[in-house]
Amino acid sequence: MRALKAFLLGAVAVGVVAYALVAALAVTAQAGGRALEIALGPLAILSVTHGGRSTVTTFGPGLVVLALAGGLANLAAVQLMRRRSGSPGDRVD
Amino acid sequence: MIADTDTLSLAPGVAFRDGQLADAVRGDSWPLNGSGDFVLRRTGRSVGQIVRELSDTFSLPLETARGDVLRFAWHLNSLALVNVKRQGPLVRRLVDWALLAVRLAPAGAVPVALARRRALDTRSVLRAVSSSLVATLSRVAAIAAGSTVVTVQFSVLSGAPGLVLPLALGIATGVGLGFHEAAHVVALRGVPSALVTRGRRTYVLHAAVSPSRRSVVALAGPLAVATLGVALVLGGAALGVPSITIAGCPLAAHALALTVVGGDGRIACGL
Repeated sequence: MRALKAFLLGAVAVGVVAYALVAALAVTAQAGGRALEIALGPLAILSVTHGGRSTVTTFGPGLVVLALAGGLANLAAVQLMRRRSGSPGDRVD
Repeated sequence: MIADTDTLSLAPGVAFRDGQLADAVRGDSWPLNGSGDFVLRRTGRSVGQIVRELSDTFSLPLETARGDVLRFAWHLNSLALVNVKRQGPLVRRLVDWALLAVRLAPAGAVPVALARRRALDTRSVLRAVSSSLVATLSRVAAIAAGSTVVTVQFSVLSGAPGLVLPLALGIATGVGLGFHEAAHVVALRGVPSALVTRGRRTYVLHAAVSPSRRSVVALAGPLAVATLGVALVLGGAALGVPSITIAGCPLAAHALALTVVGGDGRIACGL
């Protein structure tokens, strides 16, 4: 349960921050009339394209991968910190 | 650093009676020895005056008395039981701080920051929010001003015109801290609490609560501000106004405090 909580918190945190940054970039690109593409290797994160009078903004699966990576990183950090802090003195195995 | 002209005062929620120092927030009390009792009976007077009176009363060399009073004051201040009110002109204090910093530099240390504890009223949501915002106001203003100045530099360097974006980013960065602490305090409704600032740290000191409520309190701050940030990002995107969307970013960044990077996240993760 604790591991799931650590994973979810990490995923939500990184997902929210990544989404906010990408959305800010997208809106800025739209306002400036510029095309923009951001990808994580083969996974698209953001694509802003202009076609005639319309602008198409697409958030790709890279955002989800970033969030999952954040969850895993937080989980790993929690496990590492728990291991380094040692077993509590008031507990017997 | 504590100067001779500074005065000591009991922090809000801390009482001194019958030779005991009682903290209503921690729900604890500590007995004082004769010297401690002597010093705390003289709160409101300058540290220099307390030192001289201690020296005269207990027939101590002045430097010994000064060392005793300063150690005692530092210890109580580090526990957020006593506030130190700085006296004298700001420029003089800044110069004193800089001189001390230069003396400590060879040891790779910087002068230790004093703690300041402010009262919080958790009797209702409205009181919790208002008392928290009042307690964090000076810090919010300082962070907003600092962030605006830093952002202006980048804005000028990148050739972006106008002050709207730097102002929006600066205000959002400062206000984020105020809302973050306010959300913690709202989650602590009915629990004796106080706001403590020490150096760059700002935290809410509160009475013991159950582990589950502690998690909720820890999560409330980052979640509330990150939600506000996402709302601003979405609103800015819907309106097509980049400055609103960008202003939402520092607020959304509070979500990182949900991870082990922040103290709140470590509590929420059960560390």
